[in-house]
Amino acid sequence: MQEMLANPAVQGGLAPFIAALTVAALLAPFRLGGLAVVAAFATAVYFIAGFTFEPLTATRKIILLGFAAPLAGIVIDFAFRPTRFEAWALALAGAAAAAWIFWPILAPKGLERALLPGGTAVLAAAWTVGFSHSRLAEDGVRAGAAGLALGAGAGGAAILGASLTYGLYGMAVAAGSGAFLLVQMIIGRKIHAGATFMLAAAFLTALLAAAAMILAQVPWYAVAALALVPLAASLPVNAGAPVWLQALLLSLFGFFVAGIACALAWHAGG
Amino acid sequence: MSSKFSTGLFAAALPFAAAAAPESFTIDAYHSFPYFDTVHLGTSVIRGRFEKISGKLVLDTAAKTGTIELTVPTATLSTGDNDKGSRPRSRDEHLRSPDFFNVAEFPTMSYKGTATKWHGDAPATVEGQLTLLGVTKPLTLTVERWKCGPDPRTQGKRYFCGGNATGAFNRSDFGMKFIVGPVSDEVKLWISVEAFRD
Repeated sequence: MQEMLANPAVQGGLAPFIAALTVAALLAPFRLGGLAVVAAFATAVYFIAGFTFEPLTATRKIILLGFAAPLAGIVIDFAFRPTRFEAWALALAGAAAAAWIFWPILAPKGLERALLPGGTAVLAAAWTVGFSHSRLAEDGVRAGAAGLALGAGAGGAAILGASLTYGLYGMAVAAGSGAFLLVQMIIGRKIHAGATFMLAAAFLTALLAAAAMILAQVPWYAVAALALVPLAASLPVNAGAPVWLQALLLSLFGFFVAGIACALAWHAGG
Repeated sequence: MSSKFSTGLFAAALPFAAAAAPESFTIDAYHSFPYFDTVHLGTSVIRGRFEKISGKLVLDTAAKTGTIELTVPTATLSTGDNDKGSRPRSRDEHLRSPDFFNVAEFPTMSYKGTATKWHGDAPATVEGQLTLLGVTKPLTLTVERWKCGPDPRTQGKRYFCGGNATGAFNRSDFGMKFIVGPVSDEVKLWISVEAFRD
């Protein structure tokens, strides 16, 4: 048993998927099925690094934000009326989060060397969070497909960029999003995603990809490519098509872009 | 007469007084390397080293006291596998990533220690603190060999000391928890040091 739980495929895939499936199935009736992503991520953190936050490294800041994002999402979903400034404010929060995490690492390198990775991290986080919230969060299938492809893309690129830890965290987000999608495919109707789901998935994947760029060897243009996944998940599909078909098509769109990001990460290794 | 005698006595005693004072040494980066050993999948020992090290020693052989401060740039690690071949990345690239040494975020590791036991004029045990990945924990080094003397390469113009020290720590204590088990938690250290007297 212990040997099985030490297997990276279990830690970053199977165990997070089971946790997310349970949460999505149990909490969907209360419009909280989106907590599936954080359930998956927390399961992976438990197995891989544990809940230690001292010293507060970049990875631990990402973990903290990953836990805070769905809580903020619940507040946004249940306590506020939607406004058109909401997405802009969240995009700004995404940029601020990236700056908070990576500035202490990039600052000593000097402006010339810090500008490209730092700028990519800030813009990718702002775009991924802002666009996903404004265009995907209200549609459970689109949100799930985006989370699935973002997680798989961030995870795959991180593994190719020499960090299996970030790879497993990305895969855990993909597993959580996959479970969220699967519930919708099984019951044949869309469930509420909202900021509860989308903030966690977008924040985590954008920051994990940026961390894999700054702390490992994922190239900046792979991170930029990955940021286009939400755009792919917003492409039109027949709204009258069965949920499983919409989920399949939108996931394929997302995987296509995520695949490009992974190919760029592979190619950068020479 | 008495004055000449006391001056002569003072001059004769000067070398001993000098030997008794603490002496400062600077690490010779070309002949000093920290090596590390881990067990891979419970089978072979994978050995690596850091290509650069800097630091200072202060020794007082008469008083049997000494301190050491070492700083290692973690990006200089090498296990002899820098070519990725058909893999996504080489082992050294992986070891530099956040899975292990996280060199972008923690570019150095350091050790500060004090010699607490001596065998004659040689330090035998150094008790100190290793700082790795932003975490500081105690680490005791055992000095296996130690010798000081004139440097034969400079016909004795320079005075130097050198030797080896060993120790071990659990990497998970420093937050390096990635695949503990398949790659052993215990990391053995083997440090070779040479240092010139300032």
